[in-house]
Amino acid sequence: MNEELRQKVLEYLGKVDKAKNKDIAVAIGAKKSEVDKVVNQLAREGVVEFLYIGTSYVKLAGKE
Amino acid sequence: MADKETPLLDELEKGPWPSFVKDMKRMGEKNPAARDHLRLLEKSYEDKLVHWKHGGIVGVQGYGGGVIGRYSDMPEEFPHVREFHTFRVNQPSGWFYTTEALRKLCDVWETYGSGMTNFHGSTGDVILLGAPTENLQACFNALSENGFDLGGSGSDLRTPSACVGPARCEYACIDTLDLCHDLTMEFQDEIHRPMWPYKFKIKIAGCPNDCVAAIARSDFSIIGTWKDALKIDQDAVKEYAEAGFDIQGLVVDKCPTKALKYEGGRLELVPEDCTKCMHCINKMPKALRPGDEKGAALLIGGKATILQSAFLSWVIVPWMEMKPPYDELKDLLRRIWEWWDENGKVRERVGELIYRLGMRNFLKAVGLKPVPQMVFRPRANPYIFWWPEEVGKNG
Repeated sequence: MNEELRQKVLEYLGKVDKAKNKDIAVAIGAKKSEVDKVVNQLAREGVVEFLYIGTSYVKLAGKE
Repeated sequence: MADKETPLLDELEKGPWPSFVKDMKRMGEKNPAARDHLRLLEKSYEDKLVHWKHGGIVGVQGYGGGVIGRYSDMPEEFPHVREFHTFRVNQPSGWFYTTEALRKLCDVWETYGSGMTNFHGSTGDVILLGAPTENLQACFNALSENGFDLGGSGSDLRTPSACVGPARCEYACIDTLDLCHDLTMEFQDEIHRPMWPYKFKIKIAGCPNDCVAAIARSDFSIIGTWKDALKIDQDAVKEYAEAGFDIQGLVVDKCPTKALKYEGGRLELVPEDCTKCMHCINKMPKALRPGDEKGAALLIGGKATILQSAFLSWVIVPWMEMKPPYDELKDLLRRIWEWWDENGKVRERVGELIYRLGMRNFLKAVGLKPVPQMVFRPRANPYIFWWPEEVGKNG
């Protein structure tokens, strides 16, 4: 996985309650398809979790 | 159910056809939710108003789709349908079940839900109608333990579906059942995690007869076809003629591209004019068969009216070999989704996005070339406007 992109995603999620992959991609200036891959990997590792509120949001696991 | 409790609905029990009212009354004897459902529907008939509220966020752990929230707007009067959520359960390819699997499914549903089902919904899924919120997770767990999974709902990949294909049909040009199962397994994240602009449906038909109406009912239609010429058995043609079948009038004259000739008792095809419409094969199945070089045509954009009017799908790949592991197809799907996801507005189907931004942009983005099959009639339908730098490139 792209380590730099992973760090950017995690940094961004640290600043917000929850975000859509599309918004993360815009905020960090990356392609959404690349963000999707990073987020899916982070979800598999249990670092982030999905919230389903009409659409899919992602948040850092355990973050209130 | 007490007599005269639903006089308007009772009218629908009359006549020789099957009646959903009869079925619901029968279920109402065992399950109070079914009884309340019928009473609520009677109320809707009286008021000429729907008494269901759509929506509300309901679901099961780890899944963003597959359960659709439904609440009654008269919970005091009809308490057993206060919460009446729908499960979409991923159907097996071609809708083949063992009776044992069906019994298990019904047992689970009678335990946790209303007992009422819809085999199958227009999405293709098994539809389990009506469970309270508190039973959702337990019901899902029981379904999982019995080998079933949820289908898609919301802005995700909807449960792929396919015709029965080679299991029962001699015309099948591709293994629709295997392809449907393979795509379902490959794209589990996309089915269970809604994160696109809107829904995306894949439907697979084994031949151009398209019995599942993939061309009209799916964003991405995979329709079996063949690349070489259809096969003609001249002895069988002779038998049709001797039996009095009007080959000229019913087959040759009806060929939409005039690709057939019937002279001297022989039926001949001009292969390059044949669009594989299946008309002649359907009329003379003993004499005509699909060709040997089989694969599928890929089409995009079919949908019912939402932002734009209803669309039929457009051909984007006239022929692709369709054999496991289907990598070429899967790569194309991912490129399409990436472009749609990057450019689509909320609730904009991929066909509507193509309509808004143009087929030329779509083809360039996903790496496909325009081909004659995209044109209804050459020089009559300027479907593709070439990029300026490409004009004159080939003389």
